[in-house]
Amino acid sequence: MPLNEWIPQMLTGCELTLKLFFITIALSMPLGLCLTFLYTSKNPVISRIVGFYILIMRGTPLLLQIFFVYFGLPYMPLVGKYLVIKDRFNAGAIAFILNYGAYFAEIFRGGLLSVDKGQYEAAKVLGLTDMQTRTKIVLPQMFRIALPAISNEAIILIKDTALITAIGLTDLLKVTQSIVNRTTQISAFVVAAAFYLVMSYALTFVFKLIEKKFEY
Amino acid sequence: MIEVRHLKKSFGSLHVLRDIDLKVEKGDVVAILGPSGSGKSTFLRSLIDLEEADGGDIIIDGKYLCKDGKYPKNKEKKAILDKTGMVFQHFNLFPHMDIEKNLMLAPLMQKKGSRADIAALALEMLTKVGLADKLHEMPKNLSGGQKQRVAIARALMLKPDVMLFDEPTSALDPELTGEVLNVIRELSKENMTMLIVTHEIGFAREAANKILFLDGGYTAAFGSPEEVLENSGSERINAFLKKVL
Ligand SMILES: Nc1ncnc2c1ncn2[C@@H]1O[C@H](COP(=O)(O)OP(=O)(O)O)[C@@H](O)[C@H]1O
Ligand SMILES: [Mg+2]
Repeated sequence: MPLNEWIPQMLTGCELTLKLFFITIALSMPLGLCLTFLYTSKNPVISRIVGFYILIMRGTPLLLQIFFVYFGLPYMPLVGKYLVIKDRFNAGAIAFILNYGAYFAEIFRGGLLSVDKGQYEAAKVLGLTDMQTRTKIVLPQMFRIALPAISNEAIILIKDTALITAIGLTDLLKVTQSIVNRTTQISAFVVAAAFYLVMSYALTFVFKLIEKKFEY
Repeated sequence: MIEVRHLKKSFGSLHVLRDIDLKVEKGDVVAILGPSGSGKSTFLRSLIDLEEADGGDIIIDGKYLCKDGKYPKNKEKKAILDKTGMVFQHFNLFPHMDIEKNLMLAPLMQKKGSRADIAALALEMLTKVGLADKLHEMPKNLSGGQKQRVAIARALMLKPDVMLFDEPTSALDPELTGEVLNVIRELSKENMTMLIVTHEIGFAREAANKILFLDGGYTAAFGSPEEVLENSGSERINAFLKKVL
């Protein structure tokens, strides 16, 4: 098992995996938060539309969504020609962000619902504005409640990133696959599994720290 | 200071407040009594716009919070209620902030002074309720009685003229009610105007100068403790008193 050859190759694969992971986390969480606010807004039309969006994103395979963004969008009637995303990575990342945004929206909504209504009342009698109540009282508590679910979602994401190989990108899994094809040594998969495990474990560890920090 | 006329409020088909009148002068301590479900909380909450009345007037310091069931714009409501504070049965402290931040948040947000002045005021108010040593504790580390005293201190940070209390001791173990009632007694000595929903008849008799007895959405009695508790002549009131004493 020539680890000294495999590991550098696998590390280059990890680069794409991690890049996709961080871009998705960094953009899908704010997207999810916006979706939550729209979903819980008083306007029933907006709420319906966002509800429908979340339903589609959670109800269809992420792989299909990746294909759709990369291959399907250009064939859309009328607007198709403006929706050509040439860069495979960008197309994949957009699908991931749209998909994970919907999941985070659901997680945040759950957190929002479990903030006690007495908190809103206390804020109101103390003369806080709606915006101040939201940023100082509701969001911190919502975030704390949602943390375990966010952590869970992040670990799922690190494994989901492998789906991006479907549009021809080379991540950790793809590198491993080609090593196996070339050398016929199945043990390369075991090494790749170790890589994923290390990343998942590191995430779990980081989220434990964050949870500690936000404990109250 | 506060005048309420013919206040009405229903939740769907449930008429909770049918016709409530009340006049509160500066320095009055009004105990609000009545059976459970008689609308005490709804009434108190309507005085600070946590419930919207359907009809009648609420006048605070000469200004209409509610006129014939109609309310002014948010901004105006806020200005009218600027001098009214409230304390809840379940304290509603902000669990993610320490005690000092709980106290300082509202005055900071409303730009009531410099950070240093507000911090000094926070310490002063905590000292007043006997909890100066808890400045940097988190709410979850306090007993119920301590939490309620912090909640009172937090409301006092905005220098209210009127304080509303909704069963401030009902969520507490019996041995912890005394410390909270003592703080309320102190406030009454400082001439704070207060409306207190309570089941502590002894406290009401001794600390309040007026008692409002609600029953079935109506004012069953309003007057001095002697008038309401001893000589009301109302069977409902006597039956209620017998039950809670
Ligand atoms: N938000 C609400 N929606 C529907 N019914 C309510 C609401 N708040 C209170 N009620 C009802 O109104 C009645 C009076 O409640 P409340 O004012 O809390 O009484 P009290 O404080 O005297 O026990 C009760 O029957 C209660 O169930
Ligand atoms: Mg009540």
